Amino acid sequence: VKRRCMLTADSSLARNGKTSRKTRMNNGFSIIGKPTAMVDAAEKTTGAGKYTDDLSLPGMLVGKILHSPYPHARIKRINASRADKFDGVVAVVVGKDAPNPYGILPVGHDEHALALDKVRYVGDNVACVVAVSDAIAEKAMELVDVEYEVLPAYFDPEESMKAETDLIHDNKPNNLEKDYHHAFGDPDKGFAEADQVLEARFIANEVTHAAMEPHSTLASFEIDPHTGKPGRLTVWSSTQVPYYLQHKLSLVLEMPMQQIRVIKPLVGGGFGGKSEVIPLEIIAAVAARKAKAPVKITYTREEVFWAHRGRPRTIIDLKTGVKKDGSITAVRARVVQDGGAYCSYGVVTILYSGALLGALYDIPNIKYDGYRVLTNKPACGAMRGHGTVNVRFAFESQLDELAAKIGMDPAEIRQRNLLQPPCITVNGLRVQSYGLPECIEKTVERSGWKQRKGKLPKGRGLGIACSHYVSGAANSIIRSDMPHSTVNIKIDRDGGVVVYTGASEIGQGSDTMTAQVAAETLGCSLARVRVIAADTDLTPIDIGSYSSRVTFMAGNATLRAAEDVKKRIAAAAAKKMNCAAEDLVFREDLVSKKGSVAPAVKRDQAEEVEVTQAGASVSGRVEGQILRGSLQQKRKEEGPKEWMTFEEAVVAAIDFHGALTGTGSYAPPQEARGGKHKGGGVGPSPAYSYSAQVAEVSVDEDTGEVTVHKVWAAHDCGRALNPVSVEGQIIGSVWMGMGQALTEEMVWKDGMLMNPGMLEYRSPSSVESPEVEPIIVESIDPEGPFGAKECSEGSLAATIPAIANAIYDAVGVRLHESPFTPERVLAALRAKKNAKVLNLTEGIDPTAPARFREHGGALCFKGKGPERHALDPARRESPASAGGGD
Amino acid sequence: LSLPQFKLLRPRTLAEAVDFLAKHSAGVGASDSSAQSSANIRIIAGGTDLIPSMRQKLFEPDYVLDLRSIAEMRGIKPQPGGGVEIGALTTLSTIEKSQFLRQHYSVLTEAAATVASPVLRNMGTIGGNICLDTRCLWYNQSLTWRKGCGFCIKKDGDLCHVAPGGAKCWAAFSGDTPPALLCLKAEIEIAGPSEVRRIALNDFYTGLGDDYRKLQPNELVTRVFLPAASADYRGVYRKLRVRGSIDYPLAGVAVVIKRSNGHVGDARVAITAVNPAPLLVKGASEMLAGKAVDDALAEAISDLAARTAKPLTTSALTPEYRREMIRVFTKRTVLAAAGN
Repeated sequence: VKRRCMLTADSSLARNGKTSRKTRMNNGFSIIGKPTAMVDAAEKTTGAGKYTDDLSLPGMLVGKILHSPYPHARIKRINASRADKFDGVVAVVVGKDAPNPYGILPVGHDEHALALDKVRYVGDNVACVVAVSDAIAEKAMELVDVEYEVLPAYFDPEESMKAETDLIHDNKPNNLEKDYHHAFGDPDKGFAEADQVLEARFIANEVTHAAMEPHSTLASFEIDPHTGKPGRLTVWSSTQVPYYLQHKLSLVLEMPMQQIRVIKPLVGGGFGGKSEVIPLEIIAAVAARKAKAPVKITYTREEVFWAHRGRPRTIIDLKTGVKKDGSITAVRARVVQDGGAYCSYGVVTILYSGALLGALYDIPNIKYDGYRVLTNKPACGAMRGHGTVNVRFAFESQLDELAAKIGMDPAEIRQRNLLQPPCITVNGLRVQSYGLPECIEKTVERSGWKQRKGKLPKGRGLGIACSHYVSGAANSIIRSDMPHSTVNIKIDRDGGVVVYTGASEIGQGSDTMTAQVAAETLGCSLARVRVIAADTDLTPIDIGSYSSRVTFMAGNATLRAAEDVKKRIAAAAAKKMNCAAEDLVFREDLVSKKGSVAPAVKRDQAEEVEVTQAGASVSGRVEGQILRGSLQQKRKEEGPKEWMTFEEAVVAAIDFHGALTGTGSYAPPQEARGGKHKGGGVGPSPAYSYSAQVAEVSVDEDTGEVTVHKVWAAHDCGRALNPVSVEGQIIGSVWMGMGQALTEEMVWKDGMLMNPGMLEYRSPSSVESPEVEPIIVESIDPEGPFGAKECSEGSLAATIPAIANAIYDAVGVRLHESPFTPERVLAALRAKKNAKVLNLTEGIDPTAPARFREHGGALCFKGKGPERHALDPARRESPASAGGGD
Repeated sequence: LSLPQFKLLRPRTLAEAVDFLAKHSAGVGASDSSAQSSANIRIIAGGTDLIPSMRQKLFEPDYVLDLRSIAEMRGIKPQPGGGVEIGALTTLSTIEKSQFLRQHYSVLTEAAATVASPVLRNMGTIGGNICLDTRCLWYNQSLTWRKGCGFCIKKDGDLCHVAPGGAKCWAAFSGDTPPALLCLKAEIEIAGPSEVRRIALNDFYTGLGDDYRKLQPNELVTRVFLPAASADYRGVYRKLRVRGSIDYPLAGVAVVIKRSNGHVGDARVAITAVNPAPLLVKGASEMLAGKAVDDALAEAISDLAARTAKPLTTSALTPEYRREMIRVFTKRTVLAAAGN
């Protein structure tokens, strides 16, 4: 199926949209619903496109950040004089150069550009050396003398919660960032009514985004013409949230926002890792101010791991009760998240984990206790499927176990717990469109579930799981009544449409979606539309690309802006055509009276214009202009008609109104903003996407290795505005989920990340990538643009439990800890067979560490490692530092 | 991470290369690890091992000797009297695709085909794979990272994080082709300023993680010889890794078997990635000789292999698991090589 759709995409591309206009597309749309190439595809595939690190300015310097070697230490003294004097170094920036705190959440302003008095994880930012080259900056970095007083550190969240002294942040007792305790319905009564109750602990280990493009920021000040001091600041950055960046820069640099311009060049993937202000973005700006020159900082891959903001290690104690008929009576979850050293999005993450227990199935009683805990590790934040993924793994696994207990098919137990929308869930989430039943039905059908489940050869199995996600948060991080998205449209005299949107294209197709929605609404061809995005000086405010909000919110704003401008065109055109504006139809570059059938000759004329316009040569274009002009002249003479071309209508409108612009904005409706309980603002969304997946796996019972053969993934995206893009997002989600399920894990030892690189942090390679059959389900949301909802996050969460359930089907072991590495699978297999237990924590060498992967473990940092072993003297006298200018 | 500054030397002949080495290598004659790591000159062939290490500042040589223009060190040359000579600069993809090697020394082509990923095999050479630096999670890290852990015996420090309290370095040898070459009784030619010597590959490795090979800073490996007597064995190489591509072996087993009259005439088993050196499994040949391979025999061999292996926490997956996998993979490899 995938291949077939790709072919359609290719062939329609090859035909350049001209012939396809003759074929009426589904549902009466001419642009949306068609597989459409990304508007930036050519730039990216030819290498011509510019990412932040490709940019440079005259006189630009590079910055390198000195990171803490200790997980928890007080900074007693920083002496940068040796580094400052090093030939080629322009400035050394330290914490006191920009001491204002910031953080993505208003409740979590606990970060500084560079450490002021304390470092809180190995990799925390201590100083930044600005120099003329990478090599010089790296060398000079070794000459910054920092004196630390090492403090006890906390690596395990459950241990950290007991801390009374040496707190990570002084204002957070017990190292507890935030805890929430919710009860909806009557959980005790619910469990009493259940026929089967299961309780278990699930652990999902820490994963990170691993986007292709490492973070990069270029900052440059203009000289203020009046004072001669640094004036306006321009920042180019790989970010998902240009407006938040502008806001935080203004806080830290103490500059008004209007003096700061943030531009987002091409971004090579975000997945949440760029959805907040990352230290280098602030540091680059502070450094540029101090060095009085443009400064670029690009993270190494190791620094990307330290900047992190990924999915926290999560401990889930889950209890679920069901009746014999399969209906869920109650759920109780206690969730502890190992949040790392700073708040980041943590408060939101822990709330999503609870809130998204609802809105997938009909659960009458929910009890939730969530703890976001600080530890001495890099800060966790938002990552694709923010907050829902790990809890969903636990829930769907347990639901599978319960189905087995009551002797019900795993697909059927899910069908027995469906919501009846439109409805408001027990925890206050409003659900309108709900494609889950169809998702389950389709995956079951396509995978041959009923015929094949339980009948596969030994070691091979099928598993099913479901998931859902928000289409944007109904409440923005910064509480205000401001619309979440605003879009402006300007149309030129020759019918060129320019859309200005603050939405950030990060590879997900945001610009293409914007162009499609504008073109569909205006009834013009896609080639007329140019999207200018994410430049705070040019584009109206949009809160950014995260929580899968862009299609729903920026899409709706684009739709409204296009309708606004269309109204003006219609008014002018109606006048010319002697009819009411409401009687006009905009479609395929024509404006015609409702019900009038455009005769073939008109079509041909229009076609002719189009063909000439499509000619690439300059002369061709000029001819086209002349032709259009004469055509317009001729038509003017002919008097009112049944139809006009889009350009004629635009010219008429500009003649009539002057400049032709329109604007539209979107704010989620009040009814969708959730319950009144504490923390009730997180979880509500104007619409939810739904997913059901079936995974087919095989397990090697001697080695514990798991192979995923195929995944059938159905996703309810409301309406697929661009089907290839939707399929790409589904396949990508499944693949990323498979990484977390099988191979990806951040491994810690005494606060040191053991695998800070793409060699040891194992994202799946093409060899492991299974066939994914994406199945698009369209539930047509009443509030989405053309009925569309999100499609890029909701599918991920289902993949992990689908694989876990398939492993259970294949070999009968239930895995409670992700990723399902061969050693974990084998240990479970051995335990089941009562065979010799495979001890996973002990090496064979008697002198080896007592515990491998003391991930968290109970050990506090007692100065083992770094302290016992001071900087090697040999290193200090190495040629690198001997060459220093002191 | 930037590359440290160095001068690139590009000899056109082997003699010129040896001269450069003699001129620029410091600490000649010293064999302790500190002298080796601070050696003034490093040799580059494919660069797949050296370049990342230089970025991590594991090596900061003043000179880098680029061998790639030395034509005489390249190519697979079957010898008139049987056997084959393989130039050290022959790429792994050339070996993987060689019809001659596939026909007569299949264990080597199989091992070469599993190294890293296709693009890396296009660059990486057989000489480089033999000389591959030993690896450890506490060693193959950036300078900043290693500062955080307090350095280690292998580089800049005096502590082993894998076996604290010990003075020995346990970094694991993680090449794929050497166990195959050991099974084939390969010899290597080493050129130095005073002599060209030829030694059995089995004598090349020291078994130490830091000073892992017997090669002076002024010497280089030039050729690999596979004897005629090793030709036409059935050979199989299997490796444990998390991903089907890119990954270094976490445990690897090579087996060659020559059958006579339905029984094992001659056989050898070697393992890699679970010790500081690739090792022939002692006693395996004797145990296999003259017998018909069945499950029980394969299991007995796998026990031997597991006893030879000494995996530690130098890489991903737990040592106990990797030891268990040496057992599983040896059994499977022996059975596959026996044609069962």
